Amino acid sequence: MPLVDPVTMSSSITKGLKSKASNSSIGSSSSTPSPTKQELQPVQTKQTPSAQAARYGSLALLTGVFLASFPALIAKSDDDVERTPVSAMRITLPVVTAIQLGYALLCLPVAGSSSSSSSSSSQQQHHASSGGSKPARKLVRPGEKKLKSSDGAGGPNVIVASLLSLLLTAFATIPLYIAMILFGAPFLTHVPHTLVCAAHLAALALFPLFYTHGVETAAWAQIASFRAPFDETFGGLVGAVVGAWLGAVPIPLDWDREWQKWPVTILCGIYGGYLVGRVVGGTLVFGKRF
Amino acid sequence: MPPTQPQPKAKAPPPSSEYKTIAAQFAAAKRAKAADDAERAAREALEKEEQEIASVLDRQREALEAARKANYERRWWWTAGFWVWMLTMHVVGIGYFTSGFLLTRLVLEDKSVCAAPPTLNGNSNIDILPAWKGRGTVGGGCWHPKTFERAVIVVIDALRYDFTVPTRDNEAFHNAFSFMYDIALHSPTNAFLRPFIADPPTSTLQRLKGLTTGTLPTFVDVGSSFSGTAVEEDNLLMQFQDAGKRMVHVGDDTWESLFPGYFEPNMSKAYDSFNVWDLHTVDKGVADHIFPLMKRKDEWDIVIAHCLGVDHAGHRYGPDHVEMTKKLQQMNTFIQDLVATIDEDTVLIVMGDHGMDSKGDHGGESDDEVEAALWMYSPKSVFGRTEEEFAIPPDTAKIRPVNQIDLVPTLALLMGIPIPYNNLGRPIEEAFVGVRGTAWDNLAAAERMTAAGIERYQNSYFAARGIEQTSTPDSPPDLWAKAEALVAKRGKRVDWEAVYTAFTTYQQETLARCKSLWARFDLVNMALGISIMALGVLSLLVYTSMGGDDEGAIAYDADLDAAEKSLEMQGVKPDAETAFVRDQDKRLVRAALLGAIPGFAGGVVQSLLSGAGDWYRGAGFAALTSIAAVLVTLYDTKETVLNLRPKTVWGWMAVVFTLAPSIGFASNSYTIWEDSILLFFITTFGFVSALAALRLPSLADRYLSIYHSALFVLLGRLASFSKLCREEQMPYCTSTYYASATSSTSAPWQLVIPFLVVMILPPIIKAYLVPSRSYEGLAPTWIGSVFRAGLFLSAAYWTLDAADNGNWLPDLPANLLKSLSVYTAQTVLAMALVAGTTAFVWAPPCVSIITSAMKSGKAAQVTVLGYGNAHGARYLLLPLNLLGACILLSKPMGGGALALLMWQILSLAEIIDLNALAAASPAIGPVMLAVLGSFHFFKTGHQAVLSSIQWDSAFVPLFSIRYPWSPLAVALNTFAGQMVATAAVPLLVLWKVNPRRKGLLGAVSRALGAFTVYFAVEALATMMWAGWLRRHLMLYRVFSPRFMTAAVVLLVVDLFGILVALAGVRCNTLAISEVFGWAE
Repeated sequence: MPLVDPVTMSSSITKGLKSKASNSSIGSSSSTPSPTKQELQPVQTKQTPSAQAARYGSLALLTGVFLASFPALIAKSDDDVERTPVSAMRITLPVVTAIQLGYALLCLPVAGSSSSSSSSSSQQQHHASSGGSKPARKLVRPGEKKLKSSDGAGGPNVIVASLLSLLLTAFATIPLYIAMILFGAPFLTHVPHTLVCAAHLAALALFPLFYTHGVETAAWAQIASFRAPFDETFGGLVGAVVGAWLGAVPIPLDWDREWQKWPVTILCGIYGGYLVGRVVGGTLVFGKRF
Repeated sequence: MPPTQPQPKAKAPPPSSEYKTIAAQFAAAKRAKAADDAERAAREALEKEEQEIASVLDRQREALEAARKANYERRWWWTAGFWVWMLTMHVVGIGYFTSGFLLTRLVLEDKSVCAAPPTLNGNSNIDILPAWKGRGTVGGGCWHPKTFERAVIVVIDALRYDFTVPTRDNEAFHNAFSFMYDIALHSPTNAFLRPFIADPPTSTLQRLKGLTTGTLPTFVDVGSSFSGTAVEEDNLLMQFQDAGKRMVHVGDDTWESLFPGYFEPNMSKAYDSFNVWDLHTVDKGVADHIFPLMKRKDEWDIVIAHCLGVDHAGHRYGPDHVEMTKKLQQMNTFIQDLVATIDEDTVLIVMGDHGMDSKGDHGGESDDEVEAALWMYSPKSVFGRTEEEFAIPPDTAKIRPVNQIDLVPTLALLMGIPIPYNNLGRPIEEAFVGVRGTAWDNLAAAERMTAAGIERYQNSYFAARGIEQTSTPDSPPDLWAKAEALVAKRGKRVDWEAVYTAFTTYQQETLARCKSLWARFDLVNMALGISIMALGVLSLLVYTSMGGDDEGAIAYDADLDAAEKSLEMQGVKPDAETAFVRDQDKRLVRAALLGAIPGFAGGVVQSLLSGAGDWYRGAGFAALTSIAAVLVTLYDTKETVLNLRPKTVWGWMAVVFTLAPSIGFASNSYTIWEDSILLFFITTFGFVSALAALRLPSLADRYLSIYHSALFVLLGRLASFSKLCREEQMPYCTSTYYASATSSTSAPWQLVIPFLVVMILPPIIKAYLVPSRSYEGLAPTWIGSVFRAGLFLSAAYWTLDAADNGNWLPDLPANLLKSLSVYTAQTVLAMALVAGTTAFVWAPPCVSIITSAMKSGKAAQVTVLGYGNAHGARYLLLPLNLLGACILLSKPMGGGALALLMWQILSLAEIIDLNALAAASPAIGPVMLAVLGSFHFFKTGHQAVLSSIQWDSAFVPLFSIRYPWSPLAVALNTFAGQMVATAAVPLLVLWKVNPRRKGLLGAVSRALGAFTVYFAVEALATMMWAGWLRRHLMLYRVFSPRFMTAAVVLLVVDLFGILVALAGVRCNTLAISEVFGWAE
């Protein structure tokens, strides 16, 4: 007597051998990368002297800006307790964004350029070139939105790409803000605190990624599932996220220090994690995967 | 069967004659019949043979099924045995640690005697006061001139100091009880009002002991608050009795259990003290009895009245409630009326035995809990002030407080009886300094007499303990010598104030020393307890790490199963390895029992030899050797604890989530903010699983997994809005569990929550069953009707309760709403626990069998709906039943949190299934479940402090305290989160599992192991930290309560693991296998 249950038999296997479950039902949607599909290549920074100078310069600048703003962050303000860290963070936000923009423009290949493309097969040759000027060999997928620049003649438009990346970074602040709330940030109070903190995280960790990968679904799917190879951009993201997570650790301590105020520790974690992640991602573990 | 009538095969030739024809026909027919018969016989024989073969096969199959069933049941018993052993180890470990950790004080049997004041024993035989008439007798005053003949002592339970002083705000509990303040302010010589600081623990039983013996409490006694035990130390009542005073008691029956046989039986009246629901019976009884007594003054000497209304109003509503205002006003009138009946020879003492925290509960040592009020009154001008401005009662309890034990010497000296032997308090100055505040000699005499008593007690205490007192400068003996030297000077003008100060310094120093001395810890017992727990955790870890026969990952193989079956039928035993793994639990239990013997013997011998006589040390050694034997047995299996080394991000999360909180318990901050930390972990898990979902190959699975992860996180954050803040979290936390921070009733809007649960929860559960076609069998009836009806009745209960509390329907007869609500609650509990358990035991699998014609039309195809989730869907009914009971017993907000917990558990089960985590990282599921359970412990209005226990939940299904039901109801309320989580452990293993899976029992047991490890590590860590930080300022506020919570939770989890999870799995497997055959 055959026991056949079309619905549940398949589900019963899931417990044991998940991967063998048939995925024939999955449509031929282009946004579904099978594991064997082209894997994201690590992003090389440009090798020109000016790019390398900007690479290290931006690290120094970021460190400097953060250290310079730190006294304002932890300033004791009895009269206006709610404001101080926020105003300090508000002032540094455009500065930090500008530094990141400069870093991206000078050091990183723009989205759509060959060296940022996930399909690159002759990666090595492009490093020495003054990237971004060559026409991209790009897989055009149906239904996928592209940065307009990639269709333009003579390669991606750097200006448009930067502006779009900035816009995307601004939009990405909202999900990051929601994520912080979900992790237990105050829900109705301290809204500007959390929002500006999320904006800092986005500007530091996400902006370079938007700049190099645009809205390429396959690339983002790999980044989000932490399968992307380590490079400066991805390393920075991992570092900033881990730093933000660890930044929550000292908050409960009853030491009554000004630096324990929301969200100073998170911000410290983000900056520290980002800087470390970027450096380590660009050097020690470059190209490696989780 | 063909017809039997003969049928000629061929037409007979034309008959030669009639006879011949007939004979031939007959013969032919006969032949045909014979042939036919033979054929039939042969066929029948064949059929019979076939039938026989078939029945033999059937019998064999039946025998096999029976054998497998018996085998399963046997193995189940061994597994249960292993868990009982684990529970025992935990009990022994916790018991050992506790016996060394909790305060210990030697109780001395000595009693003070009237004719032998302690000053006589001193080196100097000098008295400050000149001899008075009747000295050394009760008539004149044993140790000090007597002031009063009679005393009326009114204890107003939980009378916090700020209730009695004018306060400039509109809180319900302020400015309602102003009579005592006014009298003290306007006639300071007749009365005084001062803050009255209790020594924690602030439970009534402990306080009454302190208030009568004058000594410090031991922490162990707090556990006996439900039963009460007689006081055997020297105490005020014993002295009154010896002095021939007649005592009457009305009110709280704790007095009767502490002092049995002390009170005049025909005049006294005791009332049940734990009926928190009842605000008025005790107070009304006190008033009804005390006023007639006041008219019969020659029949008694001491009246003790104990009112409970204020305390009960606090427990039931919290201080900020109109009932509290009413109650305080009633007390105001009561005291006012009582004062009018007091004569000049009588002293009236009104006091609170402890305060209450912001929600009206008590037990801990927060400021609000220890700050009670003391008021003494006499129509005769007696009381003075040492300074002018002291005439105004202090504004807050922080100013000029007296210790509660100070009442003991004060009352003893005022009444002319000896001060109890163990007293450590000192006389309250107002009572002895004279009306003008200048009688320093009298005060110094009282102080010296008390100090001499303390000194005598100290000497005998140290002698009894066999320790030398240190006499370094500023140690108590040194201070005593200095004070005595001052007295001995005896100049013309002795500065009695200086003498008083010197003796006061001595008393204070001694008290401080005693407090630290009695926080004496038995390090050996503590270490033994910690070792037992640590080894227990280790063995549990190894047990959990074993892969077992790991069928979890093996898909069902029909051929293999058939082969196995045929082998088994032929009596071939399963191969050695399988048998080895299957019998694991059996060998472990045997090892545990055998291992315990040498340890027990050794322990007994050791205690006999050492002469210590603590035979129970045998239990500790037995536990140690037993665990050692189990560990050795576990070591035999190839796989060891190294297996636990995390290999995936899931494994790492399981390790971090288990270890991080436990390490954090070393800091009071992380202990205080545990709820936020758990939310952080829950969100982390949800985010990681959402990101991990992107790696799933199937798009549908990916979306589903992201959906469930997001849901898991959102629900956790939603639940986090239900908060009950502990005192230490202020001001960074706002309580939302009750109507306000100073209330213990729910706000009216919160009544929406239970009705939302009724509407939302059953469809949600259905939605988790429908995709696997498991909303079949009993499920629609049980979840859609019975469970829903239970939830509705719970909502109705809380509505009735709110109507009763808020007096929304004033026209109804009294107690109608209460009776209605209690019967509703009993119905819900009967449905959830009694009917629910019965239904779970007898329920068929949640499947539906439909038969449809196959395309070819020849045979029917049988389709079993819900086959793939047959185990999980049916098991789900069990946690749901428990959930129903817990939702009823939790307040509306807590019920909502528990509903979210169930939803999160189901999402977790889906995440585990979609990511195939059962095989990849078996620990993460149970660990997350443990995190969820702990998280919802906080979300159901609890904190790791004694005062957050919701005692009033005992009155949800009952009118009064009844054993064992009341403690059970409180336990179900307190540990609802952990209990539901424990019951759901098998759900994670059984979810989406079809009836052919083998080795489920082992898988459940190991999942239970990982789950228990979380709580065992927590108990071990809190134990270690509490032991390590035993001198920490926050020990009794933070570390000790957290340890007690962790210890009790561990035992609850162990118990529920056996009684609910394992027993449930057994029922479930029996029922499933009954229908689908035994796979085990």
